Amino acid sequence: METTNFSQPTRQSSKGILIIFAFKTFQFFRKFGVFFLAFGFSIMKKKYLGFLTPTNLILILLFVLFVILIIAILNYQNFKFHVSLDDFHLTRGIINKDNTIIPKSKIQNVYLKQNWLQQLINVVSVNIETAGDQKSEIEISALDRSTALQLKSELYSVSSQLHDENHEVIENNVFFKASPKRLLLEGISKNHLRSFAIIASFVFGLYYEFKDYINNLSFIDRLEDSIQINEGSIVNVLIANAILVFIIVLISMLFSIVKTFIVNFNLQVIENKKTIEINKGLFNKVSLSLTPSRIQNIVVTTNRIKHYFGLHTLSVKQAMVNAKQRKNFEIIALEKHQLDHLLGKLLVNYDSEIEASKPKPYYKRILAYKMIFLISIINIPGFLIFGNRMWYINIALIVLAVLYIIKTYSKSYYKIDDEFITIGSGFIDTTTNILEIHKIQAVKLKQSMFQKRIEISSVYIYTASKVLKIPYVLEQEARSIYDYLLFKVESQDKDWM
Amino acid sequence: MFLNQQIEIDTLPQISSVALKPISKNYLKIILLNKALVYVICIGLVVLAGKFIIEKEELPDASMYIFGFALLVCVCNLILSILAFKKRKYAIRDKDIIYSKGLLVNSITTVPISRIQHIEESRSWLARKLKLSTLKIFTAGESGSDLKIDGLPFEEAKQINDFLSAKVNGNH
Repeated sequence: METTNFSQPTRQSSKGILIIFAFKTFQFFRKFGVFFLAFGFSIMKKKYLGFLTPTNLILILLFVLFVILIIAILNYQNFKFHVSLDDFHLTRGIINKDNTIIPKSKIQNVYLKQNWLQQLINVVSVNIETAGDQKSEIEISALDRSTALQLKSELYSVSSQLHDENHEVIENNVFFKASPKRLLLEGISKNHLRSFAIIASFVFGLYYEFKDYINNLSFIDRLEDSIQINEGSIVNVLIANAILVFIIVLISMLFSIVKTFIVNFNLQVIENKKTIEINKGLFNKVSLSLTPSRIQNIVVTTNRIKHYFGLHTLSVKQAMVNAKQRKNFEIIALEKHQLDHLLGKLLVNYDSEIEASKPKPYYKRILAYKMIFLISIINIPGFLIFGNRMWYINIALIVLAVLYIIKTYSKSYYKIDDEFITIGSGFIDTTTNILEIHKIQAVKLKQSMFQKRIEISSVYIYTASKVLKIPYVLEQEARSIYDYLLFKVESQDKDWM
Repeated sequence: MFLNQQIEIDTLPQISSVALKPISKNYLKIILLNKALVYVICIGLVVLAGKFIIEKEELPDASMYIFGFALLVCVCNLILSILAFKKRKYAIRDKDIIYSKGLLVNSITTVPISRIQHIEESRSWLARKLKLSTLKIFTAGESGSDLKIDGLPFEEAKQINDFLSAKVNGNH
C-alpha cells in the first residue's frame, strides 16, 4: 500500500474531473432537462422555432457540456485538502475561494461512498460530517480506496486514546453478514403500505406529466372494454376488486423486496474494538463507522411478522445527519442475539430487563379523540365520492381505529434507570427508543388545561437528533422524572458528544 | 418505577419549588400592537372578500355573518393571549435556565447550561423603545429545544447573557 502524505495540500485523484463533470451534467439536466425536451419536441414537430433548428439545439447542448467540463476541471484544480495535527483543511472555489477548517475532534463521521460511476472507474468518495448543518458537510468525490482509508484513519486519529483504534482497523472481524434469504424475508415483511404510497405517487406524478398524451390513447376506454364488467353480478365486481387488490399488494411487495436488496446488498457489519463498521449497497456502496460517543440515540424496530422470522432493525441517530444519509445508519435483518450484542457494544451497561412503567389510560382517550377527528375528516370527501357506501367503509375504519388504540397503548411503555431511558411505542411496528441520559439537550413538561384538572402531564426529552415523549403520566411522576433527568445531566460532567 | 435508586428523589432540587419570575409587563404592549396589526389585516381581507365575492352572489346577509365571525375569533384570540401573557415566566438556576408559557397548553422547558451552544440577544425597534430585549438560547440539534424568552427588561437580559456566557465559556 503506497502511503500518501496528507500534511501537504493534495488534490484528489484526476479521475475526479470525470466524477465532477458527470455530477454537474446530471444536476444541469435535472434542472433544465425539461426545457430541452420541450424545445426538442416542438422543434421536431415544426422543424424550427424562431432561430432554433435541430442542429442549433445540438450545438447549444454541446457548448453547455463543454462549459460544464471547463467548470469541472477548474473545480478539480482548485480543490485541495490536507490534514494537520488537529485539523482538516480544505480550500475550494473557482472565483470565491473558500477555506474550511474542521477540528478533528468535531468530526462526527467519516464515511466512504461509491456510486456506480465511481465503482466503474474504481474510486471512492469520502464524506466528512460534523454536527453542524448540512452546509458544513464535505465531500471529496474521487480518491482511490487505499488513500481514502488512510485519510479516514488519519482523521480519526485525534488523541492518544484513539491510537488503539488505528491498530484495530486491521482486525476486520466480520460480525454479521446479511444472507440473501434474510434480505428477502426482510423485504417481504416490510411495511408495504409505504411502498404502495411511493409507487402510487410516482404513477400519479407520471400521469400528471403525460395526462394529455394518455388521454389521446383513450387508454381507459380500452381498459374498460377489455374487462367488461357485468353491472348486474356482484360476484364479478368482488372478484375484479380482489384481483386488483392482489395485484397492488404483489407490486408493492416486489418493490419493497427490490428496494431492500438494492440498498442493503452485501450488508456487512464489521466489529472493531470500539467502533462498528457498516458496509452495504449495490449501486451506491457505502461504508461508515459508528463511534459510541457520537451516537445520540438508538432505535430498534421489528413487527409481528419480522419478530416471527427473527428480524430486527437497528438504526442509529446522530446529531443532524441529513435525511438522505440517515437511512444508511440502519442495520437490518439482525437476529435477536446479534442485536443484543450490538446494543451491548454501543451502549455499555445497558440493561433491558428492568421493570417498565406504562402511561396512564388517559393516553387511550387522547388516541380516541385523534381517531374520531381523523375519521370525521375522511368522511367529508368520503360521502361525496362513495355516497351511502361510506357507511361500510366507516365500519372498517372504526374497527381499524379501535385496533390502533388498543395496540398503540399496549405497546407504549417507558423505563428509566441510572444511565438510560427506554421508550417503547408503535402500532404495526414495535419500536424501542434508547438514549443515554447524559445526551439530553433539554427537557420539557407539557400539560393542557384539561390535563391539569386530572393531574396528567407529558415529558418531552430533546436530544441532538430527536425528540422523545413520555406520554401522559401522573403529574407527580412527570415532575419527578423531570427533576431526576435534570439532576443526572447537571451533576455529571459528561459531554454530549 | 425508577424509584429504587440510591438517590432519594425527594431530596433532588424540584422544578415545582422554583419561583418563576414573570416577564416585563411592557411586553404586553408589543403583543397587543402586533395582534392589532394582524387583526386589521385579517378583518380587512374579510371585508374586501365580502365586497367582491359575496355581494355578487346576492347574499348580503352572509357577508355580515362572516364579518361577525371573524370579529369574534379576533376577540377570543385577544382575550386568550392576554390571559396567556401572565403565564410567560422564567427562572435561572445555578445549572440551568427555565422558561414556562402557555395557557391552554402549558409547558415548562429547562435547558442545562452545560448544553447551551450559543446565546443571542435581539431587540426589535419597538422593544428598544420599551427598553426590552429578547434572549435566544440555542442547543444542539432539534430546534424544538431552543429557548426564546421575549420581553426581558434590557438590563436583566444583559446580566443573564453575561452570566450564561461566563458559565458556558467556563465549561470548555
